[in-house]
Amino acid sequence: MTLDLLTLAQAGFPEPMAAGTLNHYLFVSAAMFALGLIGFMTRRNLIIMFLCTELMFQAAGIALIAFGRFHLNFDGQTFVIFVLTIAAAEAAMALALVVLLFRKRESLDADLWAELKG
Amino acid sequence: MDAALADLSINPLLLYVACALGALGVVLAMPRRGASPAIIGGLIAAAAVGLVALGLFLALDDMAQIPNLFFYVFAAMALGGGLRMITHPRPVYAALYFILTIIASSGLYLLLSAEFMAFALIIIYAGAILITYLFVIMLATQAPTDDDDESLTDYDTTSREPIAAVASGFVLLALLSTMLFRGAPALEPRPGLDGSDAILSQLPGKVEDALLEGLLERELIDETERLAIMDNGIVIDSEARRVLVATGVAPGEAGDIQKSRFVVVPDDVWPDDLIGSNVEGLGLNLLGQHPMTIEIAGVILLMAMLGATVLARKQVDLEEDAKAREARRLALEART
Repeated sequence: MTLDLLTLAQAGFPEPMAAGTLNHYLFVSAAMFALGLIGFMTRRNLIIMFLCTELMFQAAGIALIAFGRFHLNFDGQTFVIFVLTIAAAEAAMALALVVLLFRKRESLDADLWAELKG
Repeated sequence: MDAALADLSINPLLLYVACALGALGVVLAMPRRGASPAIIGGLIAAAAVGLVALGLFLALDDMAQIPNLFFYVFAAMALGGGLRMITHPRPVYAALYFILTIIASSGLYLLLSAEFMAFALIIIYAGAILITYLFVIMLATQAPTDDDDESLTDYDTTSREPIAAVASGFVLLALLSTMLFRGAPALEPRPGLDGSDAILSQLPGKVEDALLEGLLERELIDETERLAIMDNGIVIDSEARRVLVATGVAPGEAGDIQKSRFVVVPDDVWPDDLIGSNVEGLGLNLLGQHPMTIEIAGVILLMAMLGATVLARKQVDLEEDAKAREARRLALEART
């Protein structure tokens, strides 16, 4: 058993990653996604709700990069760049909306907007 | 179920017990009116994660598959930060805990040899997006009044349907991880694909530099010729493994084909095993394989910028009850 503690980053892709190792990363990703989902459902503060969607983005990013490392190609990392792009766009729009809603009701409570029905 | 499948998968009973335990812990950690046993809840959730880690460890048939020790540190930081983020009653602290989660996941990216994305994550997420969030949190919060310095609002301290939400979240987690450990054990890395072996044509600048350096070292070309080649562009005949060198040309002048000669590259100078770095690989993949997506991402960013500007500059009037509240507040201030 060789645990190489000193090399955090291994440039390039030195060797294929074992499926057992991949499982660890995927579980972390799944747990993070579940946490984000729970937070989105339970929190009533609009800003925190959007923060929880960012947590779910992050979980997806870990899964993408872990699979990219497993399959030894760069597509996973490329898609994380797009996830970041979407997250930035979403943050800008969502926060502008939140500021607008706050100006109208002087509160961030999502339940105040319960009469909005689609 | 065949034997190979059973070898690789975590014990399902252990997985489900851990999920139930984690759900209990998260429910206890949720903010609620009165005393909330957040510490006990956090400990129970941590025990659940530990149980899954143990199950994953027991499921490994080969000790070489165990992840780097740093994986456990970063995973604990990421999940702990995430848990605290969804349970902390103060929005600013929640955002700060999310930054902790981001930093921990950039550590996980480093362990997965994605160095560029790790640092891009810190710069873009922790540096830009989260700071915007913090600004908006501070902008969109009522100033605490004098009579209560505890500025926690009701909607931050009580959660909506915590038990139902946590139950559905952890059922999702149990399902996802069941698929994970039962559904995809036959997954193997694609054979014969090694990302470290660069195809010569995919590493343009690096190949030229390595070739010219090698030739210069062997004194097959001299320094002026190297500069001339770098100015005029290199011509590589990769079939015959030779490089076109224009002799007697000063740097900056166009080469004369009459005065050129071919230098045959010795085998050990030919850069067969150049290793592309992470950034090179990512850049080539991004621009070579997904150029259209970059354009789309640019359009999305432009639209987001326009939309945010239009939305945020719009003047909105307070609604009637909010107006009345504001009037009362102003009257109170005028009296004191």
